[in-house]
Amino acid sequence: MLTMTVSGHQYDLDTRGVEEALQGVLPEPIQEHFVVINGRRWPPKQVLALVTGLDRADFTTHQARRALTRLGFTAGRAASPRGYYRVRSSAATAQDPALSGSAGSPEPLVEALRPFVGLWVAVRGDEVLVAAPSAKEVVAWLARHHQRAQSMFRVADSEQAVVGAAPQ
Amino acid sequence: MRFAFRALPAASGGALTPRPVVDIALEGLADAPMECLLDTGALRTRMSAELAPLAGIELSGALTEEFYVGGLKTIGALARINLTVTDGTDEFLWDAPVWFCDPWPHPFGLAGLEGFLYHFLVTIRAYDGYLDIEPRP
Repeated sequence: MLTMTVSGHQYDLDTRGVEEALQGVLPEPIQEHFVVINGRRWPPKQVLALVTGLDRADFTTHQARRALTRLGFTAGRAASPRGYYRVRSSAATAQDPALSGSAGSPEPLVEALRPFVGLWVAVRGDEVLVAAPSAKEVVAWLARHHQRAQSMFRVADSEQAVVGAAPQ
Repeated sequence: MRFAFRALPAASGGALTPRPVVDIALEGLADAPMECLLDTGALRTRMSAELAPLAGIELSGALTEEFYVGGLKTIGALARINLTVTDGTDEFLWDAPVWFCDPWPHPFGLAGLEGFLYHFLVTIRAYDGYLDIEPRP
């Protein structure tokens, strides 16, 4: 448990308390900075506002990042918004052996999807915009945050869920 | 217009074999195109019935049919709607029959002959991991 002063108020915060405060909440779109909590990326100001009850205008992103990293969460900065998927062309395959076949480095989207097995997701490029238990929640989140996804689907929880779809 | 095959995480680690998919947006649901598995063996284009109300599509009184997908009996309700695909630059829009199915346990829709393949020239380059679609001339 750490005692922190934010906007002139003192708070006793710990990792578990922060993680519990985020249960059932969907992360808002990442503008630039994020912290990783429960395997998901969160805007630092959203998190600190949730756990302190403060208005987001009462502190800066930098203050929120610092508070959350002191608690042990990893912070990061998103690259510029990524566009649609890169498509491997024959030329690219020939020039870059790592892209050929199924060998080589893991697909970035695969790794981004891994924490969300069983959930509905909206993705754009290699980025997961939102993950939620239902398509309805994903669609509502996109509308609320004026975001447009490239694709929406449920992350299959088994190979069988994917291969068993062929009509008889 | 080109779509990369899409891989999903495997439960055992690693990735499932990338599949040929197209992201098809329903009229009224443009911000959330639905991933659809390209299925050359499917007569219909099918999606989960839970998407219909999200797109404002009324299914009461619609023509229905029973069928089996992957061994599961389900009921599809027919709606004729505008569909859109985009690669972020170009956009194709067409009017097509879509069967909204309940139950639909699959994690994606199915893009079949009616509704999709009849409208496009599709070139599948599985070795290279992508497919190209061009509107029917």
